Amino acid sequence: MNTQDHISQAYNDELEEVRSKVLTMGGLVEDHFQGATKALLKGDTELASDIAKYDYKVNALEVEIDDDCTSLIARRQPTAGDLRNVFAVIKIVTDLERIGDESEKIASFVTELSVDTKSMTIYNSLKSMIKTAREILSAALDCYARLDAKQALEVAKLDEDLDSNFNDLKRTLITYLIEDVKNIEDFIRVMWCARSIERVGDHAKNICQYVVYVAHGNDIRHITDQKD
Amino acid sequence: MSNQDELELLQELGETVGTPKLKEKVRMSCNHVDVFYNETAQAIFDVSVDLGKNQILAMIGPSGCGKSTLLRCLNRMNDTIDGCIVNGEITLDDEDIYNKTIDPVLLRANVGMVFQKPNPFPKSIYDNVAYGPRLHGLTKNASELDDLVEESLTKAGLWKETKDRLNKPGTGLSGGQQQRLCIARTIAVKPEVILMDEPTSALDPIATATIEELMYDLKSFYTIAVVTHSMQQAARISDRTAYFHLGRLVEVNNTDDVFTNPEHKLTENYITGRFG
Amino acid sequence: MNNQDIVKASLKKRYAKEKRFKLYGILSITISFLFLAFLLADITGKSLPAFTQTYVKLEIDFSHKNLKLKEKTSYSEEELFKASYRTLASKALYQLFPDIKSRKDRKTLRGMVSVGAQYELRDMVIDNPNLIGTKKEILVLADDDLDSFHKGLIDRSIPEELRRVKDKQVIWIDKLEADGRIVTRFNLRFLTSGDSREPELAGIWGALKGSFYTMMITLLLSFPIAVAAAVYLEEFAPKNNKFIDLIEVNINNLAAVPSIVFGILGLAIYINLFGMPRSAPLVAGMVLSLMTLPTIIIATRASIKSVPQSIREAALGVGASKMQVIFHHVLPLAMPGILTGSIIGMAQALGESAPLLMIGMVAFVADIPQGFMDPATALPVQIFIWSDSPERAFIALTSAAIIVLLIFLFLMNFLAIILRKKFETRW
Repeated sequence: MNTQDHISQAYNDELEEVRSKVLTMGGLVEDHFQGATKALLKGDTELASDIAKYDYKVNALEVEIDDDCTSLIARRQPTAGDLRNVFAVIKIVTDLERIGDESEKIASFVTELSVDTKSMTIYNSLKSMIKTAREILSAALDCYARLDAKQALEVAKLDEDLDSNFNDLKRTLITYLIEDVKNIEDFIRVMWCARSIERVGDHAKNICQYVVYVAHGNDIRHITDQKD
Repeated sequence: MSNQDELELLQELGETVGTPKLKEKVRMSCNHVDVFYNETAQAIFDVSVDLGKNQILAMIGPSGCGKSTLLRCLNRMNDTIDGCIVNGEITLDDEDIYNKTIDPVLLRANVGMVFQKPNPFPKSIYDNVAYGPRLHGLTKNASELDDLVEESLTKAGLWKETKDRLNKPGTGLSGGQQQRLCIARTIAVKPEVILMDEPTSALDPIATATIEELMYDLKSFYTIAVVTHSMQQAARISDRTAYFHLGRLVEVNNTDDVFTNPEHKLTENYITGRFG
Repeated sequence: MNNQDIVKASLKKRYAKEKRFKLYGILSITISFLFLAFLLADITGKSLPAFTQTYVKLEIDFSHKNLKLKEKTSYSEEELFKASYRTLASKALYQLFPDIKSRKDRKTLRGMVSVGAQYELRDMVIDNPNLIGTKKEILVLADDDLDSFHKGLIDRSIPEELRRVKDKQVIWIDKLEADGRIVTRFNLRFLTSGDSREPELAGIWGALKGSFYTMMITLLLSFPIAVAAAVYLEEFAPKNNKFIDLIEVNINNLAAVPSIVFGILGLAIYINLFGMPRSAPLVAGMVLSLMTLPTIIIATRASIKSVPQSIREAALGVGASKMQVIFHHVLPLAMPGILTGSIIGMAQALGESAPLLMIGMVAFVADIPQGFMDPATALPVQIFIWSDSPERAFIALTSAAIIVLLIFLFLMNFLAIILRKKFETRW
C-alpha cells in the first residue's frame, strides 16, 4: 500500500476521513457485539434493549460512508491501490452493518428469553464461542486498521474453530432438546443466537479477505470453497 | 442519443437547471448575456450565472460550446476581436463592466487571466512578475517591489525554485514552471478574480497536479473561474460546475451533485461520455 | 512487386536527383564566389596606386625676396597669406636644371610640380614663420602626370605623340630619380581633402561627409515614419477597409518605383516649389527617405506580424493598454526584423546615385560641406564624376573610392548585426 501523500492535500484528507469513519463504525459495532453477547451470557435484558436501540447509529454511518465513497470515485477517479481501498471500504462497511444487525438480533432474543443461559448445559460452549467470536472481530478490525495481510490468514483459521464450535453446540442442543421438550422455545432462541455469533465470525473473515485485496490485489474470496 | 434528440432537448431547455444564481457572496454575475461574433453568428445564448466569492467555478462542455467565449467576456478580452458584440449585463461587485465609463485596462488589472499555452514575457523571471506592478505603479520603491515579487512567486509555489535565478529569462523554465510564473504574474497585480482558460491542457500530469493544488490554495485569496476540457479536472478542483452546450448554459450545480447525480439529461450524457 | 520494392526502385532516382540538385547549388555558389573574388581583386588592384602619392624633393629658398615680403621680425597672418609662393618651387627646379633656358621648356619643367604645391608651401609658412629666410629640402607635391609615370601607369614604350609625358620630361624625371629626389608617401590627402580637377589634390572627404549627412537625414526621417506607419497598419487600422487596402497596395508598389522618379519629385517639389538649396544633404536625405520608406514599412509589418498573439494577450491580461502592449512588447520583439529592413533600406539609399543626380549633386563641389544645407556630393555620385574624368590617375581614385564605399557598407551591415544580436531574445 502506498503510504506517500498525494499532491492534492484535499485528496489525502478525504481518504483519511473515510478511513477514520470506518474505524469509528468498527468500534461501534465491536461495542454492540460485546454488549449483546454480555447480555446473552448474563441474561441482562436492560442492556439488551439498549443495544437494540442504538443499531441505527451503525446504519447511519454505513449510508454516510457509502456516500463519501461514491463522491470520491466521481471526483477523484482513484486508481490502483486507492481504487482497491475505496472498493474494499464499500464492501467492509456492508459486512460491518451486517454484524451490527446480528448484534441487534441477539439482543432482541435475549429480551425474549425466559430462562437464564447460565442454567443451560450449553452455557460453557456458548461462552467459548462468544470468546472466539470476539477475538475474531477484534482481530479483523485490527487487521483493517493496520492493513496487515498476515493477520488475515490467522483470523481465517480462528473462524474455522468457531465454525466447529458452532457445530458442536448444535449437536449438544439437539441432544438436550430431545430430552427436554418443555423449553423448546428458549432452546430455539439460543440456537438462533449461536447462529448469529457464527455469522459474525464469517463477516469478520470477509473483512480480512478485503484487507488482503487492498494490500496485495489478490481477491482471495471463495478460493477455499473451490479447493473443497 | 442522436444529434436531433440532443438539439430538441436543448431547445426545450427554458432556464438553466440547478443553481446558476447564488443568493449571497457573489463576486461576478452574468445576466442574460448574449455574444455575437458578427451580425449573424451567435456564440452565447441568454446565459446567467454567478461566480461565488472564494470559490472555483468550472466551465465544461464540448468544443465550440462557448465556454471560452464567455470567460473572455468576463475581462473584456473580446474587445480586441473585431465585430464581437456583447449584450446583457456582466457585473463585478455589482458594477456593470461594459458600462461606457469603465476602462477595460483597469478592469483587466482587477480580473486577471491565465492562458492555455504558458506565455511568459521574453524577460527575466523578476521582470515578468514585476511588469504589472510597475505598469500600474503599485509599489513606491524598489524594496517594496522586491517584496511583492517574492510574495507573488511564493503564492504561486515558485519561490524556492527561482529565488536564486530571478534575473534568468522566464522562457528558460519548464512548462509547468512557466505556467506558475504566469500565475504569479497575474496575482502580482492583486486582482480579485482570476480567469483560467484551460490552464493545464498543455502540461504533463505532474505539472497539472501541481497547478491544480495551487488553484486549491489560491481559492482562499481569489475567486476563480476555470474553463477546462477535462471533466476529471473539473471534478477534482471546483466547487461549482457549469455545463455548456452549443452556446447555452444547461446546468450549474455543486460539483459533487453534478458528477454523482446531474439534473439534466444532456449533462449526464456529456459526463458519462455518451454522445450521438 | 510489393510496396517495399516499388519504393526501393524509386529511391535510387530520387537520391540521384537530390545529388544533382546539391551539385548545382554548390556550383552556382562557387561561380558566384569566383566572380566576387575577381571583382574585388580587380578593384583593389586598380585602387592601389591611389593610396600613394609622389613628391619631388626640392631645395626651397624661403627668402624674403622670393616671398616678396619686407624684412620684419614678425608677420601678421594676412601678410603671410598674401605673400607670393607661386615661384618658390619653380625657382628650385630651375636651379636643378640650369641648362634649361627656353621658355617652353621651362614651362614644361614647371609643370612637373602640382599647381597646388604653392598652397601647401603657404600653409607650411603660416604654420611655421621661422621658415622665412631659410633654405630647406621640402617634399613638394608632384603633378599627376609625373605621379602616374612614376607609378608605371604611363607606358614608356608608346610613341611620344600619344603619350602625356614627353621624352624631354622622361629624361628629367630619370635624372631626378637618379638623384633620389622622387619620393612616394602614403596618400593621406585622399582621405582628407575634397574634390579637385587635379587628381593629385583630389580626395574623398567631401563626398564622405556628404554621404554621411545624407544618410543621417534619411535615417532620421524614414525610420520613425516607417515604423509608425507599419504599427498603424498592423495594429490600429480597421481590417477589410477599402481605403486602407488602397494605402497598402500603394506602399507595396512604391518599393518597385525606379529611384530616378524620386529624384524628379525632389527636384519639382523640394527645390522648385519649396525653394530649398540645390545639392544639399538635407534635400538629398528627404528624397532618399521617400525611397527607403516602403522597404522599412514592409519589413516592419512582417516583423510585427510574426510576434505571437499570445504575448499580446498576456500583456493585455495584466492590464496593459494597447499602446503599452505595442511599445513594451511588440516593438522590442519585432526589432531584429525592423533593423534588418532598415539596414537593407539604408544600404540601398547609400548606393543610389540617380535621384541625387536629379537634385544637382552631380555638380563639381570642391568644398567640404559643414552642415546640412551646404552644397555637397555623395560617394556614389563622386565615383560617377571621377569615372568620367580623363586623367590616368582618376582611374585609381575611382577604384579607391569604390573600395571606401564598400567598406562603408560593410561597416553599416556590421553595426546592424551587432544591434540585432543585442535585441534578439528567445521566446
